[in-house]
Amino acid sequence: MDENHAQLWQKLSAALKPQVSPDTFKRWFSAVKLVKATDDAFTFRVPNNIYQFWIESNHMAALQAAIVTAFGAPRKVMFSSASEDVDGESLPEIPGKESARENSRDAKQSSNALGLNPRNSFESFVVGPNNEIAHAASLAVAQSPARTYNPLFIYGGVGLGKTHLMQSIGQYVGMKKKNAKVMYLSSELFINEFIDAIQHNNLVKFRKRYRQADLLLIDDIQFLGGKERSQEEFFHTFNTLFDGHKQIVLSSDRPPSEIANLEHRLVSRFEWGLTAELQPPDVETRMAILRKKAHTLGIKLRDETFDFLATRIRTNVRRLEGALMRVASFASLSGKELTNEVVEHLLKDILQEEARHAVTIEQIQRRVAEHYDVRLADMTSKRRPANIAFPRQIAMYLARELTKASLNEIGDAFGGRDHGTVLHACKLVKRRMQEQDNIRQTISFIDSALQR
Amino acid sequence: MKFNVTKEKLLEGLQQVQNVVSTRTTLPILSNVLLQAKGNEVHLTTTDLDVGVRGSFEANVEKEGATTLPARRLFTIIRELPSSEVQFEVDGKNAASIRSGQSFFKILGLPEEEFPPLPKFDNAKVITIRQKDLRDGLRKTSYAISTDETRYVLNGLLFSLKENKLTLVATDGRRLAMVDIELEFPRSHEADIIVPTKAVTELQRLLTDDGEVKVSVGSGQIAFDLNNTLLVSKLIEGNYPNYKQVIPSETKERVTLERETFLNSLRRVSLLASDKSNSIKLNFTKNNIDITANTPEVGEAKESLAVVYKGRDFSIAFNPEFFMAPLRNLTEDEVFLDLIDEMSPGVLKIATPFLYVLMPMRISS
Repeated sequence: MDENHAQLWQKLSAALKPQVSPDTFKRWFSAVKLVKATDDAFTFRVPNNIYQFWIESNHMAALQAAIVTAFGAPRKVMFSSASEDVDGESLPEIPGKESARENSRDAKQSSNALGLNPRNSFESFVVGPNNEIAHAASLAVAQSPARTYNPLFIYGGVGLGKTHLMQSIGQYVGMKKKNAKVMYLSSELFINEFIDAIQHNNLVKFRKRYRQADLLLIDDIQFLGGKERSQEEFFHTFNTLFDGHKQIVLSSDRPPSEIANLEHRLVSRFEWGLTAELQPPDVETRMAILRKKAHTLGIKLRDETFDFLATRIRTNVRRLEGALMRVASFASLSGKELTNEVVEHLLKDILQEEARHAVTIEQIQRRVAEHYDVRLADMTSKRRPANIAFPRQIAMYLARELTKASLNEIGDAFGGRDHGTVLHACKLVKRRMQEQDNIRQTISFIDSALQR
Repeated sequence: MKFNVTKEKLLEGLQQVQNVVSTRTTLPILSNVLLQAKGNEVHLTTTDLDVGVRGSFEANVEKEGATTLPARRLFTIIRELPSSEVQFEVDGKNAASIRSGQSFFKILGLPEEEFPPLPKFDNAKVITIRQKDLRDGLRKTSYAISTDETRYVLNGLLFSLKENKLTLVATDGRRLAMVDIELEFPRSHEADIIVPTKAVTELQRLLTDDGEVKVSVGSGQIAFDLNNTLLVSKLIEGNYPNYKQVIPSETKERVTLERETFLNSLRRVSLLASDKSNSIKLNFTKNNIDITANTPEVGEAKESLAVVYKGRDFSIAFNPEFFMAPLRNLTEDEVFLDLIDEMSPGVLKIATPFLYVLMPMRISS
């Protein structure tokens, strides 16, 4: 524990002491050490796992309250157990441990062989409310494969961290259990190898290769859609692994039920374990991502610039990081001061792209009319047979969800309708979305087409 | 294979093994029971690959042989049979014909060879325990096993064999139950093993008050041999946490409680414990305990209990379910409750080696 951590811990213990009884403090917290402190998380080292279990179950409220008292804001609390280190299961960031460093070096070598990017680890993953569940589930799976959630299905849009999480699991397991056979690949590679195996008539070898894995991670599983033979092969691989208590982790850009042309038995299997969604990060999380990234790359920027980037680039973490790189390299190459105007000019194209996401009511009407094959004029007309009225209600609903327009403004845009009409439409559509899968799918399809 | 048997014997045999049958349908053989007719006995075996049970019943075997049949289906059929005489015949294609009175059933099975064999226990360490002692110990502890799957080492009961004692421990992080059983065994047999919940539950069903159980501990697995029934289970890998850390070293106040009276009071008062906070409060004053519970906007309950108590006045809150669980599973008339203060764990004891540590809840007042 270096001095800095010791000071932090002292400050924290002072706040904690009044919260718990002296006996509790002596029994549970006197042996705790703070080993890692970041802006949003503390990692405590405990002598063995009973400390973690007991503190988590009984003293978490007190600990969190003490953290707020001492540091003004809540932090994530993590534990690492010393007894696990003895078994060679140490976390890589614990300093001063030769074995730990060796571990991570080994891991690097083996993970490179697996096609895992060593940068994609749990430590470098920024957790926010948008990805909490997926992160927690991934960590649980990594810590005890095939014991908790099997299969784990992670889905979410482009650049939200699906691959990052999967690779983190792969590396964590690869590091902790040297003998475990970890396989990470994209579904495309799976399909290609399958085709190759058929072509060269060595299906047996192909099967053996996959069915011996202890941990199978398949990225972008949605590409299996429509590939019947591959699906069948994967189905059997899945069953073999599942019955053998091996962990399976899958990722996709949409939930299993919405993957087109995917056999029903596969869909139901994918939904068997845990399905976790990754949502676009909120502004605070985007800020945290930027700061973390800047820190690892050794970039120094003004708070104002971070703020600008985090508020203006909303949809995609990859784009966010790209923007950061561009701004940083401009600053270091030109040496000019970075004002918001400079940054705005620099990121013109990205910002334009982002701005396109501001959907207008008119676009919504056009898109919905097109989809349901009704005339655009019907959106504003007084006619109301069901085949026109329902698409119109969907358009109103989407206008409510996707634009900032008020009920009145929406009503006006739809041929001077009353705000009550719009409200009714929203409620109706919401209800029917809950009741009927196909309506929900249609709407999410139009929604994503609009956001593109 | 062909045998005649009474409905009762067959039903009893199936009841012993059918709980283990796998609910996973991906390996159909695991939902089957293996029947093996030999001599004047029929052996029954079921397994889900983690836990396996093997039992038997006496029968008039006319032709020896073996097959596997869907366990749940077989059980429901036998239970409904009209007559007490059952004639059982299996052909070469694993189709079983069951005749009883006017009924005739034919059910299709799978070949014996597909059934996974139960693990062998060569070079295992063997210990003998009186069934009554083990049954008693399991009842006093097993309710405290954690169901939180992320803490998988706690999803089982610790069997700690040390210094001529078998210590059973269960905890879920909020409470801990522990029992010591005196036992003679060589030092070389000392070990800490974790038996998964499912095996503990099954074992409790199988244990009786008479006779002994032979426990064989192999690498990663354990077998309980109860004369005519055998239970085999995988062990949970990993180290059980150091539970001794949880047990308070010294306590300040002790009250003696009549178990049943106290349990009944708790049960009544807990009717008005709110779902959200789910706590009941014990207010200690001289020679009296007030048990209270209240839910905002619903109501409150209070009951007074005369006890011998000479300590200081104070209040402590507990989760009523966690408090009632040990009381329900103990048989002693008197229990002792040891306390330190309102923020420290309470300890429940009885005259024999048993211990239950329960964390208090925060009193918000």
